[in-house]
Amino acid sequence: MSGSSNLGMHVDHGIEEDPEKLAEFQATIDARTLIEPDDWMPAAYRTGMLRMAEHHANSEIIGALPEGEWITRAPSLRRKLALTAKVQDEIGHGQMLYRVSQDLGKSRDQMLRDLITGRTKYHNVFNYPAPTWGDIAMIQWLIDGAAIMNQKTLADGAYGPYVRTMKRINMEEAFHFKSGEDMVLTLMTGTSSQRAMGQEAFDRWWYPSIMFHGPPDKPNTLQSPAMRWRMKTETNDSLRRRFVNRFAPAALDLGLKIHVVTKDADGMVTSRKPDEKLRLNPDSGDWEFTEPDWEEFFRVIRGNGPCNKKRLALRRLSYVQGRWVRNAIVHGSTALPNGGGR
Amino acid sequence: MTQLAENLKAPLVELLLSVADDKLMLGHRNSDWTGLGPILEEDIAFSSLAQDEIAHAQILYELASEFDGRSTDVLAFGRDPTEFRCAEIVELPDDFDWAFALCRQFFCDHYDALRLGRMARSSYAPLAAIAARLAAEEQVHVDHADAWITRLGTGTEDSRTRIQAALDRLAPVAPMLHEPFEGYDELESAGIYPRPETDMFEAWSAALHAVTDAAGLTLTLTAPPASDTGGRRGRHSEHLAPLLDEMCEVFRLEPTAAW
Repeated sequence: MSGSSNLGMHVDHGIEEDPEKLAEFQATIDARTLIEPDDWMPAAYRTGMLRMAEHHANSEIIGALPEGEWITRAPSLRRKLALTAKVQDEIGHGQMLYRVSQDLGKSRDQMLRDLITGRTKYHNVFNYPAPTWGDIAMIQWLIDGAAIMNQKTLADGAYGPYVRTMKRINMEEAFHFKSGEDMVLTLMTGTSSQRAMGQEAFDRWWYPSIMFHGPPDKPNTLQSPAMRWRMKTETNDSLRRRFVNRFAPAALDLGLKIHVVTKDADGMVTSRKPDEKLRLNPDSGDWEFTEPDWEEFFRVIRGNGPCNKKRLALRRLSYVQGRWVRNAIVHGSTALPNGGGR
Repeated sequence: MTQLAENLKAPLVELLLSVADDKLMLGHRNSDWTGLGPILEEDIAFSSLAQDEIAHAQILYELASEFDGRSTDVLAFGRDPTEFRCAEIVELPDDFDWAFALCRQFFCDHYDALRLGRMARSSYAPLAAIAARLAAEEQVHVDHADAWITRLGTGTEDSRTRIQAALDRLAPVAPMLHEPFEGYDELESAGIYPRPETDMFEAWSAALHAVTDAAGLTLTLTAPPASDTGGRRGRHSEHLAPLLDEMCEVFRLEPTAAW
């Protein structure tokens, strides 16, 4: 459900590349021809794309966890089915993206081990808590909505396998978003306690969703290799602006109030007040808003968010608990008595 | 037949609830593995099976609802534990042991395949139509479970030991799937739940043994008591109430609200 936006798009320039090949590579990208795995590519491009696809895959399977916690508590058969299918989709996205990454030269097991040992990262937004059913509605509406915006730009990128995967993922994400929109609408047109649940969840998720697109751009972002090579096609700030322009008025229409909040170490809101900067600027056509607490953002990225340890611990437990099954597949007898099923 | 005699309505609801409650609890337990399965590909497969179980339950509740009067969601989330008709095997927590979850699925899928096969021959047309559809999907579940029991039973020493341990834990509980529900005999005589071609317990036991024997696993099953001592009569293990507390946590906040 997430993309590259808070991955530090570091591209290694340590390797001298053949200038002719490099120019040809750039020309291919500028001509909007997709790069395929067997094509020549600069080493920095390969490692950059691998990092990006791997980070994205990690985010999908970690992103499954906060919502997965609510499958057993979904309040109707329809929601239970939809949520299970949704979380299953995220695992499917992870599987597709690990395969893209595998083709770029890293084994899946190595990627999973790097994830659970903290050597690689996943999207920051999944380090926040989902303490109520309302949070599940808000994640599917705001976070999946933000992810679709981001991934649509990534589907316009240059690396063929990743672009095709993005297109497929975006189709599925559109269902998730619809489901989230329906859940939010149901809560916000429900009883007073349901509306309060929706508002409280919105207060928890509004700022993480604004931060979803990553930290403010550096001045030279447009000239970075990531942009030149179309690993990214839109800047963080531009995506964020489009996100707020879309979701601030939508939230107000649903009867939600947009608050500036303070939170405790567990990610729970300790105080809130209306965002006094929130307004539609008639000249620019953009919504203005109070900037997120970027210090909090970097604190969470460094591993000190409300749920970093919990998420990684569950992933680690799942990795360890499933090892005997993987061992049996890899090292077990291949002579299955009945051919492994009918 | 599309009209049901008055005296057969309550027994039919008992049948529907026993199948649906088993499937809901099994789907509920197994859906919890979504995102945590041993391999991504199998995570996705196992989640699809869990979704099937819940969807089957939903379809069966819809039919039950026509006679019972309560909505499908109230049947699923709004009943007291004693009103449920599931067997003990689906109530047990799996304690994050995939061998246990898989072996439970193995016992239940084989039983469901037989049960749905009977229902598909029902003289009551609406039931037969639904059951025929579900039986086709159930066969996929059976194939999935058989393939994994075989693969892990013949895998490494470790996988074999784990599967054997799970079979040993579940074998004493599993036969209670066969406990007759209230009104079983009337429904059978009327052809609503037609008499099986061969004895259900024997057919079930033979299907399970075909897989475990070939994989070199041992399985000892004893026929359940015919008397009304278990879940089909609302007498449940201590695991059902906490399961329902979790499953119904949000629903109970506002039982009459739309969610």
